[in-house]
This record gives sequence, structure tokens and C-alpha cells, in this order.
Amino acid sequence: MNATANALVIEELSAGYGDTQVLWDVSLRVEPGEIVALIGSNGAGKSTLLGAVSGIVNTWSGGVRYGSAVMSGLEPDRVVSAGVVQVPQGRRLFGSLSVEDNLRMGAYLRRDREVDADLEKILAMLPRLRERYDYLAGRLSGGEQQQVAIGRALMARPKMLLIDEMSLGLAPVLVDQLIEILARIHATGVSILIVEQDVQTALEVSSRAYVLETGRVTLSGPSAQLLDDPQVKKAYLGV
Amino acid sequence: MNPATLKRIGLGGITGNPIAFAVVLALMALLLAIPLTHNGYIELVFRNILMYAAMAYGWNLIGGYTGYVSFGNVAFFGIGAYCSAILATHGVDNLLLYVLLAMAVSAVFAAIVGFPVLRLKGHYFAIATLGVALAVTDIIANLDALGGTGGLALHQVDEAHFSIYYYAMWLVALGSMLGTYFIARSKLGYAFVAIRENEDAAAVLGISATRYKIVAWTIGAMMAGAAGAVFAPANGFIDPSITFAIDSNVFPIAMTILGGIGTVAGPFIGALLLAGANELLQRFFVKAHTLFFGAMIVLIVLLLPRGLVWLFGLRGGARAWLKSLSVYKA
Ligand SMILES: Nc1ncnc2c1ncn2[C@@H]1O[C@H](COP(=O)(O)OP(=O)(O)OP(=O)(O)O)[C@@H](O)[C@H]1O
Ligand SMILES: [Mg+2]
Repeated sequence: MNATANALVIEELSAGYGDTQVLWDVSLRVEPGEIVALIGSNGAGKSTLLGAVSGIVNTWSGGVRYGSAVMSGLEPDRVVSAGVVQVPQGRRLFGSLSVEDNLRMGAYLRRDREVDADLEKILAMLPRLRERYDYLAGRLSGGEQQQVAIGRALMARPKMLLIDEMSLGLAPVLVDQLIEILARIHATGVSILIVEQDVQTALEVSSRAYVLETGRVTLSGPSAQLLDDPQVKKAYLGV
Repeated sequence: MNPATLKRIGLGGITGNPIAFAVVLALMALLLAIPLTHNGYIELVFRNILMYAAMAYGWNLIGGYTGYVSFGNVAFFGIGAYCSAILATHGVDNLLLYVLLAMAVSAVFAAIVGFPVLRLKGHYFAIATLGVALAVTDIIANLDALGGTGGLALHQVDEAHFSIYYYAMWLVALGSMLGTYFIARSKLGYAFVAIRENEDAAAVLGISATRYKIVAWTIGAMMAGAAGAVFAPANGFIDPSITFAIDSNVFPIAMTILGGIGTVAGPFIGALLLAGANELLQRFFVKAHTLFFGAMIVLIVLLLPRGLVWLFGLRGGARAWLKSLSVYKA
């Protein structure tokens, strides 16, 4: 998990499905070592943006760079190998494989010999998974499943972690646990882009944030500032 | 892609129960002795079992490991059979050549057809593959060069050398089984399973579903093609209705599911049981054998929903088994 610092730069990105455009000239950057939040209501295009970065959704125009490497147009495996790894919305585990195998699948593209050592580090960080090591992933509770999804992404040795709706459907106490885990991952030098429904939490853990509305960035700035923004308060914090 | 790299990322392999696999290997060794009975009927029965086993292994890769339920694999069997027939009618009399050509042609055909068809999922994929099988049948039935509906006669080897086809089919079945074993122990097998379990998750981890689905489908096609290549000269005559029989399409699927889907031992155990039982029932119940056969399939699915292979891993005897049934009811 020794991260080399690189900035993720999304420039004027447009993307969509079929002939429906979802993203309109979105620009966003995550500096090395930063935690950046992306917030927005349902259907705003947050997952589509992460998909475009990961090479799963086709980009129409504009681009994605990681450091000096162009990511847009690359196959997903190249993006993962470059160190940009996604924890997808809804966890998307391999349900009838064990927790161990799910974690190891995260290392699918790796050719180095430190997979076992990394697995050990990840289990130390997520001790609950050690207790559930031989369980089928599909049988775990929601919080445990989210930990597997995060652990699996870590097994790919990310330098830039994209986390989609981590807190969805989880009790606040579990969300707090996950936030603590994120802090520890961040402390190892991994940059993080979090997409969140839980806007309060997202703005608390991030240093900067972007607001996405119907495919356009309408607001961005330091998270502390957005927490006080009347527009954000009204639309996302319900105050 | 090979066991070494698999070991490096520490995955243990998805071969299924090791005892079941050992038992299957032992049974395969025993089957080598069948021609020693000098009983043409018994040899034919077991050659068919081996043929179905090879086809079941072919289906298991795409339907079992990768989770794409195909009803089109009989097309590859048929293509393999016709490859042999074409070579035979052109005076080529070399079984190895038959098999190699059949595997090559099946693979190329599978890759080309797979490209559009494997973009479909679930029911749509199933129906499209059935369409492929029907289309191939229809094309061959209408090609005079391939004998049309009248079929093609292949030159028969003399009685004394008849067992050559038995051994050839044995090798095809063994090759399919061991091929499956090594795939299941490699990263390739895990790519297949990742696609089956969750295609989106596979994509996010950099496992290209498009690529690996084609690989699973194409390797499976080669297994069925090889079986067809041996079947044609062994049978001495092929036509569209024999080659693309509904049995050849449905049996391998039923065998894989009853034996244990997504395992290395399952397809063989299923083939042995179903083809064997079918043969026995036909002998003893001339009229009602299909009824008993159907009832047997229903019973196995109800009592052993995870296939016969599952019995090998059963700990705790009858109680554990009963518990498994109540789990399924819930
Ligand atoms: N695979 C797809 N094919 C077609 N349209 C899609 C697809 N995925 C998403 N969309 C559409 O794109 C738009 C943006 O969806 P997206 O999932 O990116 O939103 P989101 O901001 O992540 O929403 P949520 O907060 O609910 O996760 C929606 O209108 C959605 O219906
Ligand atoms: Mg989303």
C-alpha cells in the first residue's frame, strides 16, 4: 500500500448511456493524499462518473488523467493496474465465494509476491473479516459485506480509492466504524474520492467536496465551507 | 493464468471436492478395461457415457463455471462430427486429424458466434444459443455437399479395430476432465467464477467479462467438437437428426447439474449415472422407461439439489443431509 503520489484529474468530462447524456463537462480533481467528497441527489450521475474513471462507462468527450497517464479510453484492467480502484455501489461481492477468496480476487491482476503480506495487513485493519474468513460473502451482514468490498479493493493495491455509497443502508454506528477504517487507509497514503448519500458525514471526513446536480458540477470548495453553505444545508442537510 | 500465478495470489482453486475427483479418476482408469469384455453392446454404452461426459465438461465451463446457460453446445458437437465426415469422404483416414480439425473449426466457429451471442444475458442468451444450434442444424440439412437430410456414410473400420473409437472417446473425455481441472486450478477458472458471481464486480477488478466469456465458451466448444469428431466415424453414419438430437443437447446439461455444476467431478458422475440409468431402464422397461428416467431426474434434483458430488463432502450423515433439505425448503 505504499502509494506514489499522483493527482486524479477529470477534465470537462461528458458521458452517458446509449444516446442519453448523463454527465456534462464535469471537471474534478483529487490531489495526492486528499480525501474528496462527491455529493448529489439520486440519479445525478455520481456512479456514472466513477464508472467513467474506471473504464466501465464510455467517455464521450473530455478526459481522465492519473498523474501523467491518460485513463480515459483504457480498459478497466489498465485503470486498476495504474492504481485507481473502485469500491462499487451496492458492494457487489462474489456471493458464493468465501470472504478469503473475495479478498484474494482483489489481487487478480497482481504479479508481485506480496499478496499474502497485504492480506495480513488488511485483516489486521479489518479484524471482523478474520472472524468471518471462511464464510460465504453472501451470508454476511451489510456492514461486514461493506468491509469485504473495501478489503477487496485494497488487495488491488490502490493509490487512489473511489468509494461509491459506502454508508448506504447501514446503521450510524457502522458508518462511524467504516469512517474510522477510511481514516486508517488514508493514513497509509491512499487518496480517496468518496461518493455519499450521507452528506453530513462526507463533508466531515473530506477536505474538499463537489456537488453534482443532473450531471453538472454546480458547487465545489472546501468541505467546511460547504457545510455552512445555505444552499447545501437546504438541499442536502435538511436544515 | 497458470497455477503458479494462482498460487501467488493464494487462491486454492475451484475444483470441487478432491475425494470426488479422485474417485472419478479411479473410475476413468477402470473404464479403460471395458473393451476387454469383448462385448460390443457394453462398449457402445460406455462409449456413449464418455461422449456425454466430454460434452458435459464442455457445457460446464460456460454454463457451470461462468454461469451462462447455453442450449447451443450441440452445434459444436455436430460441427465436430461433420468435420470428420468431410475428411472421411475425402479419403482421409486418421482419427487424430479428425479430432484436431474438429477442435479447430469448433473453436473458430464458437469465437465468431460467441462475440455477439455472449453479449446477451440470462434467458436471452439461452434462447440465442438455442437459435445457433437450430440454425447450424438447418444449414447442414440444406447443404447437399454435406449430404443434406440424407446424411453421410463414413467408411467403417473392420470389427477387429473397432475399440479404437472407444479409446479415442476415453481420451477425449479424459482430456476434457483434466482440462477442466487445470482451468479450475488456474486464475482463468477464477475469472469464469467472478463473471458468474458478479459481472460488475469482475469489471471493477479489471476482469474483462467479454474476454473470459469467449474463452470459456470456446474451450467448451472444443470439447464438444472433439467428442463429435470421434462419434461420427464410430457411428459410421451421420445425418442432422442423429447429430443434433435433442438428447445430445439436453443430456449434457442435465448430467452436469445432477452430477454437480461448476465442479470437476460432477459432469462425469452425472454422465455415468444418467446415461447408465437410461440404458438400464430401456432394457428393463421397454415401454415406461422415459417415465422412470424422468422420475429419477426429479428425485435427484429434489433430494440432492447441489448434485451428487455434494455427497462426497457431506459430514454428519443422514442428519446433515436432512438439514440441507430443510434449508432448501426455506
Ligand atoms: N447502465 C445504465 N444504462 C442506462 N442508464 C443508466 C445506467 N446507469 C445509470 N443510468 C442512468 O444515468 C443516470 C445517472 O445514474 P447514476 O447511477 O450515475 O446516478 P447516481 O448519482 O449514482 O445515483 P444514486 O445516488 O442513486 O446512486 C440516471 O438517470 C440513471 O437512470
Ligand atoms: Mg450511484
